[in-house]
Amino acid sequence: MKVYDGQTDSDTESEPEQIKIGIAEYDVTENGAVLTTSGLGSCIGVALHDETIPVSGLVHVMLPSADEVEDGNKAKFADTGVETLIETLEESGGDRSNMVAKIAGGSDMLDFSESGSGIGQRNVEQVKATLSEHGIPVVGEDVGGNHGRSIKLKGSSGKLIVKSANRDRQTL
Amino acid sequence: MKVDIQSLETFNQLAREGAEQATASMTQMTGIEADVDVTKMSLVDRADLGEELGDGEFVGVQFDYEGELAGETVLLFGRDCSESLVAALLGDVGDEAMAKSGVKEIGNIMMSGFIDGWADYLGTSIDHSPPTYIEGTGSAVLPNGAADDDGDHVFVFKSRIEWVDESVEFYIYMLPEYDPLTSLMADHVDTEDDAIPVDKLEVFNEMTRSGTEKAAENVTMMTGIETAAEVSQISFVPITDVPKQVSNETYVGTVVEFTGLPSGYLMVLFDEVSAKNIAEAMMPIDVDSDELTDKHESAIEELGNIMTSGFVDGWANVLQSSVDHTPPRLVHDMGQAIIDPLAAQVGRQQEHAFIVDSTMRTNDLEFEAEIHALPNEQELREALDELLVDRADETEADPEQIFQG
Repeated sequence: MKVYDGQTDSDTESEPEQIKIGIAEYDVTENGAVLTTSGLGSCIGVALHDETIPVSGLVHVMLPSADEVEDGNKAKFADTGVETLIETLEESGGDRSNMVAKIAGGSDMLDFSESGSGIGQRNVEQVKATLSEHGIPVVGEDVGGNHGRSIKLKGSSGKLIVKSANRDRQTL
Repeated sequence: MKVDIQSLETFNQLAREGAEQATASMTQMTGIEADVDVTKMSLVDRADLGEELGDGEFVGVQFDYEGELAGETVLLFGRDCSESLVAALLGDVGDEAMAKSGVKEIGNIMMSGFIDGWADYLGTSIDHSPPTYIEGTGSAVLPNGAADDDGDHVFVFKSRIEWVDESVEFYIYMLPEYDPLTSLMADHVDTEDDAIPVDKLEVFNEMTRSGTEKAAENVTMMTGIETAAEVSQISFVPITDVPKQVSNETYVGTVVEFTGLPSGYLMVLFDEVSAKNIAEAMMPIDVDSDELTDKHESAIEELGNIMTSGFVDGWANVLQSSVDHTPPRLVHDMGQAIIDPLAAQVGRQQEHAFIVDSTMRTNDLEFEAEIHALPNEQELREALDELLVDRADETEADPEQIFQG
């Protein structure tokens, strides 16, 4: 885990730094870096932003709950991933009472399950449940459907740009 | 000789940590931020080694090492990438000799950590030679393995490292000699329960190639375009790296779930240009559209179906079990988003996955297809266990026979 503290580039006016977040990874920026993650199918990108600092973070979760699988990587799961991101934002000076969330992904494409809801939908439900437990409102979402997404979180403003293969991009 | 899942995981992890350490050394030296994008351990047909390098120009360093583990390791930079790296390290160097020694220096520091990491883990010493500067085009830049290694298959550890600001990649290949590696892996087996016989994994790899050939034949049959199977390999990766096996370009193709032993998912993917070209080759009349139409998509669906059947029949024949599959679902989306829900499905049961990757090409027009299979790990193990060795011998003698009809 890397936390970018903004000490190195604070006085340059160049393009903001881009940080790629892989599957089951997360990162936080205090210096307005752009956090990106791509290829969200049933996975979800959860973006948190605390305007008062400002500090922003993004996690790319894959499965609903850490209880289902034995695996030490918290960022892989919707429940523990969201919690870890909240904690890391607070370590960087954020406060959960000031945070807002934007989420994208959770598509039900290629859901072969015969019965019950697919992983995409369950990911969405779990992310929302965990955010709600911590009192963080979801102020923007582009979830479900049957197409993939790639997202960009602008650390400075908390704007979340969602791209899809066959659709116009939108900003949450 | 058997290897178990645990030791595959460990060796995979070791390669990943080594690649991360090497990348960190580079960042420290040059100030350039880079990330290890993917590390995988693959069993590859020797002839296919380095296929992913295409016809790019590469420079790099090669080390030989010996000890409990012996073989070669190579660090490759795209030529442009190396120029930027050397410039970051030494400033602008007009002199070619200086540039070469810059590459050697960067390579040496990056790779020393990589090799030492392996030695530390294995609790042994691995001696490595001084770096040799290498340059060349595509796969020709790679060493072709020790001469006394007479097997057709090699285990390769590959890491692709992406430079954050620019889309430049570099690669680390570790090519251990087959016998010392497999006996070392066998030494690290701690339970027999999840052990995989290495020789059967090879047979499986060959069968995958035959399955791909069968699928390619089906393409030829349907389109009249001569299509050849190019690469096939089986890799072992953490489940979270599975989606990175395809690029995030837009693909058109089909996905099925297959059931039986093993169960899993199979994707047939075409990039958009290939999809359009091959679909039009199947159409009776000329199409006057730059876009992919419904007609293109239904042609792709049909093609995906027949390729899937060819491929899956190949497996079923060898495994002597029946493998059924669902009707194909048409997909037209970002590559990684297509594979992500499938990885999530298998990820509910396993932390690592075997993934089978094949490609086919044709010289007649711009066309490339990828087949990726994601079998349930435990079931694949069972299927391999049940694979009779005499059957394997038989297939080795005449793989053609099995795939007839």
